[in-house]
Amino acid sequence: MRFFQALGKIDRKIIFIILAIVIIIPLLKPFGLISRASSRAEAVFNAVDAIPAGKPLMISIDFDPGSMPELYPMLTAILRHAMAKDVKVILLGLWLTGMGLGEQALTTVSREYNKVYGQDYVFLGWKSGVLPVVLGMGEDIRKAYPADYYGTPLESLPMMANIKNYRDIPFFISLSAGTPGYESWIAYAQSRYGLKIGAGVTAVSAADAYPYLQTGQLTGMLGGMKGASEYEFLVKQKGYTQQFSPASQAMDSQSLAHLLILILIVIGNVGYFFTRKVTRREEK
Amino acid sequence: MNLSHSLWIWIGTFLTFCIFSFLYKDNPLYKFAEHLFVGVSVGYSISISYHNVLYPDLIVPLFKQGQLLNIIPLLFGLCYFARFIPQVSWLIRLPMGLVLGFGAGAAIPATLQASVIKQIQGAILTPNIFQRIDLFAWALISFIGLICVVIYFFFSKERVKSTRLAAEGGIIFLMVGFGASFGYTVMARISLIIGRFQFLLRDWLGIIR
Repeated sequence: MRFFQALGKIDRKIIFIILAIVIIIPLLKPFGLISRASSRAEAVFNAVDAIPAGKPLMISIDFDPGSMPELYPMLTAILRHAMAKDVKVILLGLWLTGMGLGEQALTTVSREYNKVYGQDYVFLGWKSGVLPVVLGMGEDIRKAYPADYYGTPLESLPMMANIKNYRDIPFFISLSAGTPGYESWIAYAQSRYGLKIGAGVTAVSAADAYPYLQTGQLTGMLGGMKGASEYEFLVKQKGYTQQFSPASQAMDSQSLAHLLILILIVIGNVGYFFTRKVTRREEK
Repeated sequence: MNLSHSLWIWIGTFLTFCIFSFLYKDNPLYKFAEHLFVGVSVGYSISISYHNVLYPDLIVPLFKQGQLLNIIPLLFGLCYFARFIPQVSWLIRLPMGLVLGFGAGAAIPATLQASVIKQIQGAILTPNIFQRIDLFAWALISFIGLICVVIYFFFSKERVKSTRLAAEGGIIFLMVGFGASFGYTVMARISLIIGRFQFLLRDWLGIIR
């Protein structure tokens, strides 16, 4: 009986160490578990794939470094997909502290595909206030963003010559870690201007995004690091890139850690039920 | 092993270990990293706000291009600081009223359309519902779940046998929902720690590709 009581009282530091080991081992020696893309990830991929070369994809960075392991791999994989297909990219964001990540991803990926700033991609950056930005771009992007992140007027960027508002954007993706995020884009840009939206969300908020997927308000969804690995898998499978895929690399660790959590839940519950049984018997 | 030569990677590593040290117990190193994070975030935010908003949208048009109408938003913005002066603290109501009025006016119809009307429609009329039998079955289960959960949260009348049964069914649907959220939350937290280990093993130690 003491054994079962001890099960319910394992020191959390021991659990932390076991978890660290379980995560590190697959990173050093990958098991190569088979990846498969979900229909939700395929829907986002197909929507980006369907954008004709020369037309723009708009991506909003609605996250900060706190969600980097989940959403940054999505951003780089989507950028690689778009740039490999000669799709123009417009990057902006509703989260101020995500701007550095956006700039870093654009710089890295544009170099891989020899893309030129202003002709193949534009970084609009961040503006204060969600409503004026999202609604304003529905009328004219220049109203919300007279200049890009670096202060260059949009008129002087060749790529923006034929892009006025959401009607010129075939597909939009919000990489969202909370509010403001994909819900703001759905509420103001889609329901009012009919913008076609896909979302990449942190795993914490993925369950909340399913209703929007079911109604068709979201074209597709990438949920957490698994969603990022699915997109990386699709981009690699179609031969658009062979670059390092951080989310795919993490999937073995993720699977093993989930298994450990499941075992710990079972152990904890077994310990709890036996302890409760003994306590009740003693009370009687 | 290919140890990093970048000073920034070493600083990142040091701060990562400072934060990890909290897993043992609260300590000055953790506090240092925490305060540094808050300070850097605020500093970064102020800098971006000035260069991306304040300077191009207010200072340039008002002081360099002479667009005097911009003095109105400037005055409204300054009213926020009136709360520090008790005699004129009421002035803060002006910008607050404007922001709340505009926000509510724009948000209420949009949120109703996107999160209420569309969701009610989507409770049964999902896209392609009649194309496959499994899609139809899931739409039906989802609709039954919606009704049961709504009945569970209806507290204005004492439950009779039929509504009690539906409410108990609602609990099952709620538990399934909470379980899915918990599962995703576990994945999110594990993802964050994997991200840190990838940084330590790849960027710092260089022992993984």
